[in-house]
Amino acid sequence: MSQPDAKNITRRRLFKLGGGAAAGAAAAAAVSGAGTRSGERELGINVAGLRQWGRDAGQWVPSCCNMCGGQCGIMVHVVDGIVEKIEPNNWNPNNYTNISADWFDGYTDEHGCKEGAVICPKGNAGIMALYDPDRVQVPLKRINPDKSVGADPGWQEISWDQALDEISAKLKELRDAGEAHKLIWFSEDHSFTHPQMDFCTLYGTPNYSNHANLCDVSRKASFRTVLGDERPLADFIQSRYIMLFGWNPTSAIKWVHLPRVITRAVERGARLVVVDPYLSDTAAKAQEWVPIRPGTDGAFALALAHVIIRDGLHDRDFVARWTVGFDRFAEYVKDKTPEWAEPITSIPAAATERLARELATTKPALVDVWSGPGQHSNGVQGGRAIALLNALIGTIDAPGGMIIPSKASTKHNAPQPDDTAAQTLKQPRFDERSKYPLSHSSGVYAQSFVNLAEGKGPYQPKVGVIVFQNPMMSVPGSQTVAKALARLEMLVVIDTMLSETAMLADYVLPGTVYLERYDLNSHWVTWPVLGLRQPVIKPLFGQPAEYETVAAIGRRIGLKDKSGKEFFRVGALSGQPVEDLTAWYEEYLSAELKGGSPGLTLEEFKQLPGAVWVDKKGTRYRKFAETVAPEKLASAYYDGDPSEEGTVVYDRDPAAGGKAIGVVVEGAVRAGFNTPSRRVEFYARSLEGKTDADGKPVDPLPVYTPRDWQPNEQYPLYLINWKEASHTHTRTFNNPWLLELKPENPLIIHPDTARRFGLQDGDEVVIESPYGSARGKVKLSRRMHPEVVGLQHGFGHWAGGRNAVGRGTADAVLRPTRADPLSGQGLHKETCVTLRKA
Amino acid sequence: MAEASPAHGAPAAVPELSEVTRRDVVGRLLKLGAVSLAAALASGASLAPLLHVTAAQGQAKPQRRYGMVIDTRRCVGCDACVAACKAENKTPPGVSYTVVLEQGLGERPDDRPLFMTKPCFHCEHPPCVPVCPVGATFKRSQDGIVVVDYDRCIGCRYCIVACPYQARYSDFAENYPAVAEHTPWASVPSPEYRQFRVRQEGRSPEGNVRKCTFCLHLQDENGEYDKAAGRWPACAKTCTGKAIHFGDLNDPNSEVSQLLKERQAIRLKEELGTEPNVYYLL
Repeated sequence: MSQPDAKNITRRRLFKLGGGAAAGAAAAAAVSGAGTRSGERELGINVAGLRQWGRDAGQWVPSCCNMCGGQCGIMVHVVDGIVEKIEPNNWNPNNYTNISADWFDGYTDEHGCKEGAVICPKGNAGIMALYDPDRVQVPLKRINPDKSVGADPGWQEISWDQALDEISAKLKELRDAGEAHKLIWFSEDHSFTHPQMDFCTLYGTPNYSNHANLCDVSRKASFRTVLGDERPLADFIQSRYIMLFGWNPTSAIKWVHLPRVITRAVERGARLVVVDPYLSDTAAKAQEWVPIRPGTDGAFALALAHVIIRDGLHDRDFVARWTVGFDRFAEYVKDKTPEWAEPITSIPAAATERLARELATTKPALVDVWSGPGQHSNGVQGGRAIALLNALIGTIDAPGGMIIPSKASTKHNAPQPDDTAAQTLKQPRFDERSKYPLSHSSGVYAQSFVNLAEGKGPYQPKVGVIVFQNPMMSVPGSQTVAKALARLEMLVVIDTMLSETAMLADYVLPGTVYLERYDLNSHWVTWPVLGLRQPVIKPLFGQPAEYETVAAIGRRIGLKDKSGKEFFRVGALSGQPVEDLTAWYEEYLSAELKGGSPGLTLEEFKQLPGAVWVDKKGTRYRKFAETVAPEKLASAYYDGDPSEEGTVVYDRDPAAGGKAIGVVVEGAVRAGFNTPSRRVEFYARSLEGKTDADGKPVDPLPVYTPRDWQPNEQYPLYLINWKEASHTHTRTFNNPWLLELKPENPLIIHPDTARRFGLQDGDEVVIESPYGSARGKVKLSRRMHPEVVGLQHGFGHWAGGRNAVGRGTADAVLRPTRADPLSGQGLHKETCVTLRKA
Repeated sequence: MAEASPAHGAPAAVPELSEVTRRDVVGRLLKLGAVSLAAALASGASLAPLLHVTAAQGQAKPQRRYGMVIDTRRCVGCDACVAACKAENKTPPGVSYTVVLEQGLGERPDDRPLFMTKPCFHCEHPPCVPVCPVGATFKRSQDGIVVVDYDRCIGCRYCIVACPYQARYSDFAENYPAVAEHTPWASVPSPEYRQFRVRQEGRSPEGNVRKCTFCLHLQDENGEYDKAAGRWPACAKTCTGKAIHFGDLNDPNSEVSQLLKERQAIRLKEELGTEPNVYYLL
């Protein structure tokens, strides 16, 4: 008989703590079972530990993740000011589904969603980002004037007061000299963007930019041109046929509901087809992988359209009522046969024929595209061709199709600039955004850095502020970025880590990890949902959160709005001075919430289950077909015959600033789409006569043109990259838990191709392009198209923490610093390389 | 379990754990007026007489057999389970109670992978148990969970060799920087076995063999889990594809039992006769 003593002791102890009769019974049962096998005994438990650290101890604070830009909901277990664990937030739809019917099925306020929410590996590993000993803890000032890559900055630790005083003094000097526009500002796109935009407005620079143009602005441009919305979302779970171009949603994840809704769709009988040069982890879940040559997705989409139209398989009703330019498009694709596409895409014509038929005859179906095709120089037009397949099959904004989401709003109470700021705000943007006909408000990073490095552009910036961004590794062409940043008189970087970019700064200010700060997150599901990020602990080093740092600088410069109000000191609700920076920002957020969809104060919002506001009305479909309310039509302006199909209706004369509110379809004024014609546009008249950033005419049809850079004898291989669940961008590479999941990024190469280059599995190689070279490790796999090599993005650090340095291969060094000439999208995919054994 | 150790000769490796318990109990007994018994306990005597009393008053519970049914069609290979396990159990570098395998699918021309998360299978006939020279690892009668008694384990690793599924790991006393460099995280204990051990040099489980426990520390006093309350194995809770089903295989109405009735399931290395309690749906 082994010793069951401790067991009984502890059970009795728990009994005393309130376990009740059940505890006694359990003790008895366990005892009766004890000793039935060799060695079995009860293990002692630590009651004090349980009381201090168990699930019932401390607090569970609802918040939102920011390990990536997906902003999923989290519940954070905090004990004595220490984050013990991060778990899924069962009240946040972003962690479960993007369709309200699926969300509300079995939902209760007590427990949240029916099956329980989830978080990804990065979300689970947030603790290691928070408690990373390599975090920047105090402000640092550069002593070494040599700003070349690899030079020791000679960091001097300085006080917050000194840092803020010196930075503010320099900024004030610039502003007083009438050169406020010579401040360029780069920020992350999901966190504390509003106060940074406010700062730029009040300071007087038009040069606020953020991350999105490194990500998916070509997709945004494609869908906006086709159906008037930047980010339609796929209704996977209700779909029967899902065709994805260059997107890896079950692994790149972004919104953690994606793995569930996609695998569930397949389980319910949907066919998943993934078009990609690499058999991605998503393709591993698909019934069919269609290997394609990089940058030829548009040609494949046109060939699919050709078959669908040729065989009369398109949704004639939808096309007739809700689209414009179909005839021109049909004419254009007449010769875009599968045989035409085959030598371009490497996809056999017979496969294209079959896939087109499947796509058009399985209902409902959807076609989606993300950054694979999008980060090529022909990405926007290719994306339009892909997006338009949804119009041919007639499932736009319909269940199982591409849904135009209704977003929850927050009211950004943007300040008006004073006269000084207004003067410099008139200056053109330094990134020449206006040259890009389908650009995005996030700007054009690539053009900024090229202009700065080469002394081009409308003027030369003198000061740069970079918040929570690492352009040295995330902008194509690290060499250009380094050269550009070295030309600034002052570079300030706010970050949690000493990134490659921070190593080139004059001042580095410690940032906060998301568990230490606030934000509002308008979630990417199909109906209005808003989540709160809140500090679950105080910033570890007593540092201000980023929004507080910005406000503190604003105060020091003495920035005022048009009315003379000191914007960064006066509470947004109270109108009274609020000295405490956190309290000031809490009022700022409260005003955004109060004036937005929830209509609640911050404190009221915190009381919602999971600190999430979910619109009970849920997902609405076919919103474009809804009739416009008669009272809105009373003083409406009809741009044509009110009885004619397709007449666009404005709230008043557009010449006097009227806005489009609908379109005449089936004899009624209906909401339509947010395009100039209020319908889905096969032919975009708005592009007639436009030129792109290279000065070339833009075709109003979604034409296929080969990408600019093709392989040649010297650089015979396409180089692509991708994201996986284990890491985000370039910023999770010091996280030891995530590195254990994915410690390196081997260069994947097809065995046949490897043979041609004399390479074997595990060989060290030098990857060379005309722009740079990098070392990598070869991994042979038939998952890769034979003409292509590829790797997971984000590795190859030479800074950013002790764990991060020296692992894997950086790919940005192999690229030119280029943007897509239509949207300003950074081109991370368009590269050709050669390999040699190291 | 130092308070029981003297009678059985096992080393008292983690005295602080049991001391807390012992003090609590003694205090409780004193309040109850059982002074002589408390005094006897304080001097290190066995609790056996007390136990018999308690056992006689209780009812035997039906045995549970906890297990998992993992749906490979839903597993996307994201590794969230691996990270969540780490977050839950505070395991050190190189110790991962579950891993995600990427299996090649036979002779396909495209090397398409099949993803499978692989925790401990808590076998009906666990080959790891009989090889233990000190009886430190055993299968619990009440729920079939295979556990390791850190205070007995001598770290010989026979069990690691014996496990045909590579489900056991040696704790080589390495630490993540957040622990090694004494950030606030270094004071957070592992809730494993409800022993809440803080990572300390030279103390168990450093040097021990470690393995998945189905997060048994989340069971209530009746040995039950509660999914809605979040007391559920961490890997299953976070699984992004909802691929990991967990429950009592002895309960015919449990989700896991139902799935096994309705779907084709396999177990790994069936031919070894280990009878794993983790099944895979294909």
